[in-house]
Amino acid sequence: MSRAAQEYWRSREQRDGDPSVRPFVEREFQEGASELPEGVSRRSLIQLVGASLSLAGLAACRRPVEHIVPFVRAPEDMLPGIPRLFATTMPSGLDAVGLLVTSHEGRPTKIEGNEVHPASLGATSAWAQASILDLYDPDRSQQVLHQGQRASWQAFVDAWRALEPEHLADGGARLAVITRPFASPTLARLIAALRARFPQARVVGYEPVGDELILRGLEAATGAPTLPLLHPERARVVVAIDSDFLLTGTGSVAHARRFADGRRVASSDGTMSRLWSIEAVHSLTGANADHRLPLRSDQIAPFVAALGSRLGIGTGLALDAGPATFDSAWLEALAADLEAHRGASLLTAGRRQAPAVHAAIHALNQGLGNLGVTVEYARLADAVLPDTTAFAATLESMRAGEISTLLLLGANPLYDAPAELDAAGALAAVETSIHLGLHTDETGAATTWHLPEAHFLEAWGDARAIDGTVGVVQPLIAPLYEGRSAIELLAVIAGEAAPPPTLPEGETADAAAPPPTPEPASGYDAVRATWRQILGTTQSLALDGGWERVVHDGLLSSATSWAGIPLAAGTGATAAPPASAGARSASDVALDLVLVDSPRVFDGRYANNAWLQELPDAITKVTWDNPAMLAPATAAELGLRNEDLVRIAAGDRQIEVPVWIVPGMAPGTVAVELGYGRAFGGRVADGVGANVYPLRSADAPYLVAGVRVERSGSRREIAQTQDHGSMEGRPIVREATLEAYRAHPEFARKAVEVPHTRALWKEEWSYEQGYQWGMTIDLNACTGCNACVIACQAENNVPVVGRDEVRRGREMHWLRIDRYFAGDEAAPQTVFHPVPCMQCENAPCEQVCPVTATVHDAEGLNVMVYNRCIGTRYCLNNCPYKVRRFNYFNFTKHTPQVLRLQNNPDVTVRSRGVMEKCTYCTQRINERKIAAKLEERTLRDGEVRTACQQACPSQAIQFGNILDGASAVAQAKAEPRNYTLLDELLTKPRTSYLAKLRNPHQELAETHQVEGHAPAGSGQATRDHGDDSA
Amino acid sequence: MTRSRAAGLWPLLLLTLVAGCRGCPSPFPPIHIVPNMDHQEKAQPQGESAFFYDGMVMRAPLAGTVARGDLDRAPSLATGRDASGEILAASPIELDEVVLARGEERYAIYCQPCHDPRGNGRGILFEYGSVPTPSFHDEQRRGYSDGRVFDIITHGSGLMQGYAWPIPPEDRWAIVAHVRRLQQERVTAEAVAMAP
Repeated sequence: MSRAAQEYWRSREQRDGDPSVRPFVEREFQEGASELPEGVSRRSLIQLVGASLSLAGLAACRRPVEHIVPFVRAPEDMLPGIPRLFATTMPSGLDAVGLLVTSHEGRPTKIEGNEVHPASLGATSAWAQASILDLYDPDRSQQVLHQGQRASWQAFVDAWRALEPEHLADGGARLAVITRPFASPTLARLIAALRARFPQARVVGYEPVGDELILRGLEAATGAPTLPLLHPERARVVVAIDSDFLLTGTGSVAHARRFADGRRVASSDGTMSRLWSIEAVHSLTGANADHRLPLRSDQIAPFVAALGSRLGIGTGLALDAGPATFDSAWLEALAADLEAHRGASLLTAGRRQAPAVHAAIHALNQGLGNLGVTVEYARLADAVLPDTTAFAATLESMRAGEISTLLLLGANPLYDAPAELDAAGALAAVETSIHLGLHTDETGAATTWHLPEAHFLEAWGDARAIDGTVGVVQPLIAPLYEGRSAIELLAVIAGEAAPPPTLPEGETADAAAPPPTPEPASGYDAVRATWRQILGTTQSLALDGGWERVVHDGLLSSATSWAGIPLAAGTGATAAPPASAGARSASDVALDLVLVDSPRVFDGRYANNAWLQELPDAITKVTWDNPAMLAPATAAELGLRNEDLVRIAAGDRQIEVPVWIVPGMAPGTVAVELGYGRAFGGRVADGVGANVYPLRSADAPYLVAGVRVERSGSRREIAQTQDHGSMEGRPIVREATLEAYRAHPEFARKAVEVPHTRALWKEEWSYEQGYQWGMTIDLNACTGCNACVIACQAENNVPVVGRDEVRRGREMHWLRIDRYFAGDEAAPQTVFHPVPCMQCENAPCEQVCPVTATVHDAEGLNVMVYNRCIGTRYCLNNCPYKVRRFNYFNFTKHTPQVLRLQNNPDVTVRSRGVMEKCTYCTQRINERKIAAKLEERTLRDGEVRTACQQACPSQAIQFGNILDGASAVAQAKAEPRNYTLLDELLTKPRTSYLAKLRNPHQELAETHQVEGHAPAGSGQATRDHGDDSA
Repeated sequence: MTRSRAAGLWPLLLLTLVAGCRGCPSPFPPIHIVPNMDHQEKAQPQGESAFFYDGMVMRAPLAGTVARGDLDRAPSLATGRDASGEILAASPIELDEVVLARGEERYAIYCQPCHDPRGNGRGILFEYGSVPTPSFHDEQRRGYSDGRVFDIITHGSGLMQGYAWPIPPEDRWAIVAHVRRLQQERVTAEAVAMAP
């Protein structure tokens, strides 16, 4: 049945009772948390205080002068203080995310999902949430640079016009374009125009982390390069093979939503799908699996082959000749499960696997009858696909002097290209290199021309999601710097002229002849020209407002998804597969280095985003670093402990990173995230972590076999949060198997006996009227993706504190996601547990505040009155859930001017010495209440959505009025799985949880029952909790 | 002797210090000892920002962008023009007592200071500042179509600013209805006066 509380552990140190984590458990304020930063002695402090006191009468205490700066001609529909919403689209490689952006007086401040977008249905990823910070990044490239000197766009256009005749003369044979892969109708049209103008020119898609291996594998199997569109909601059995389709895979937002839909168990007779995961690195998808098999990377292809032969489906993969290194009972159970669910199963492989594996997965899906049911293939239209071979050939031509002009659209090969391709040498051989990028990055600093790129919130564009939905990229603000989009640059190169000046909405543009000196088309003109063609084919749209309707919705709703691409019949992967990438030598001591796409900075493009850098990784809980992740057994073999610095050497290249032991990693595997160790990334990115790209080769981009790992002798402390906010030994997370749940639906509620009949404090208010806000978090739906954490940070002006402060336990996230392991550390089970403020009706924090800075309002919110707070921190000490956050410093004082524009004007920016915490987004509640009052009605259910709820891809969070029996939150609270944290304290939390369910396979069910590990200080678990709180 | 005279001067000096400072303007802003998050690192509506060259944190919407809800109104109602861009001849909204009452109220708020309650153009600004304001009751302005009146409210005319920003289109049409009623009442009154 369900596990006892003692069986869960946050970290190995905590489980084993390591004294190093005791401070995080016992001390509310960490060692040094109340002290000043290093280097400030008491004496110098007194000097400082004295100095500031003597200055007190002068300028320091004067009220700052503020001016009101209104519009001279105020635009219609823009009322100061009333935000407006604009639909737009975030291009993301070959995919796109539909967004709805909040604009305060013409400044975008918050990104949410576009609820009419068919793929994401209003959800977003942490990356989309954090991209608003990229817009206001003060380190963005701000000017055109020529040989490192300031220049102008006009100077660049003139320089190009001088080069143009030469390229026109030879058909562009000496012209090359290296672009990040994209799927965009306008970009594709302009690339086609460029090719028409320069037929010999090369256009190459290059990205360091992408789906190239999947595209190649599926091209071999189906005849067309394509990406899978998964429908886990239609599957009963889902098999993820080295795949992180819930977090980092292409289309993950839609996939996570559908996966959660397939696992919602509304009543005790409900059903849910079963997720199997086979992987080398502990990914988020693996953490959500019912059965997870850690397997070395090079064993995964043999595993798939063995599975195929067991199922009698030809996969085209060679069976491993040697003895199987994987559990045959496990394979047997998986095969039996797949056989029992033909046509209702789903297999998918991750982007690190070789093309042959993807072809084999296609054959398995076909053999099991899943194609068209649970697996569809995307028709990748209007796309430039990644092609490393062509990229390498282009670099070779560059070195040979065959290219005179090189255009880099967003690509940064000097940082992320495989070292053996020597991108720097190739670039130096080109006469004129032109780089368009958001940052003057490693490549931008080396090219002849660097052009600042406009952020997607600054420029017009369009993008296609992998389900086929075409979205419009609508700008929210004029470019903050001199940025222009790739569309505008390509319009110059491809010679697309602006339409002759007619009415702004003129539809007769294509009739007139171009003017004698053509202006390059603006981004808006270029996008309109494309959409005139798209809308021309869809007559019904003319009735519906046409283009304006598309911009309003953010997408073209009528030309969306399709039921897969036509497949050549019977094309199993019969052709001889390419050799599996990175074959390993037989030696056992050699380790496999797996290069992982980071769930935070991805391939390095988000490296200058402080929110993402400070976001604790879902599995490791590491911030501000990319350590070498090792299995406990491997680390023990090598004699390594956490935070030991190691040198990882492949050939003659090596990197130095600290060790982080991750339960559930495959043995013999060391994994490091890509995207760190930037040299020209910006103030946030530079110097964080280590750059692993130099160890990479073009043939096996994600696996370096046979690396040497040796201890360097020193250590580096890692800022991590896995032991912060521990509520040790108490039944915090509750879970059961589906079968146990059917037998005992009330298991979660009965997991703890409530010893008290009376609350600790007098209950003075009954909360029976008006709106009474409450929240539920479904642990069964939550995948732990962290989108809510970033959404909360963006909405509530939560500051970033930096690596050193995280190490002291001072991180400020109002909503944290606790990750618990249970069971065998070689293959643990994982539970994610998001913890916002519980909004207790009998709040212990309120009882101890000497200045009533935290009080209850009539709607059940535990509110903070920031300017009453004097910073005693008694409330934090008394909070059993450890959800309060204290501003140890004035983290916002030195916010650059441009970053202040991002802050939510409706939320206080807190100063030093002030306590803060989750407020259920009280500003959103009030905004909707005012709107409802003006319309003389009451709020409808679902009208107020908290930032975390809005962002959640799996819809794990419900929020609303608990007095309204029909509300979603009241119905969720009525479910038998509903429980509250630390029930026995009778704090009456408004936030409650729905217990997690697992769906283990019958034959493996007994391995699910793991023996408990008594955590350090587990005696506390059995103690009467009321006593130590009273 | 000297000491006591000097002691006698102290109250005078104090009086000068205290009373002498009363009413004197200070070039400095008031003293504000406890900051208390009164001034925060965020952009307030109508605030200023050192980042933008024009000092405004408010940014004008970009041409061609469409916000959520912008298409809820029929285009003719929002712009006062039909599909071909011609000014509407007649008001697109249904008239009833509620609309007329709303129009009267909005007229009193936004129009009356210049145009006066009867539409004679002799409002309080004319009294104080001799701002020339035309009457609604001449032949030319009686002949304006509903759409023309709406267009003038929206974009302004002569010295008059456009009122698109503070008055939503529905209210502008309600004001048009009220102006029409004022004109009609004057026509009726003139007819009655002429009748006997």
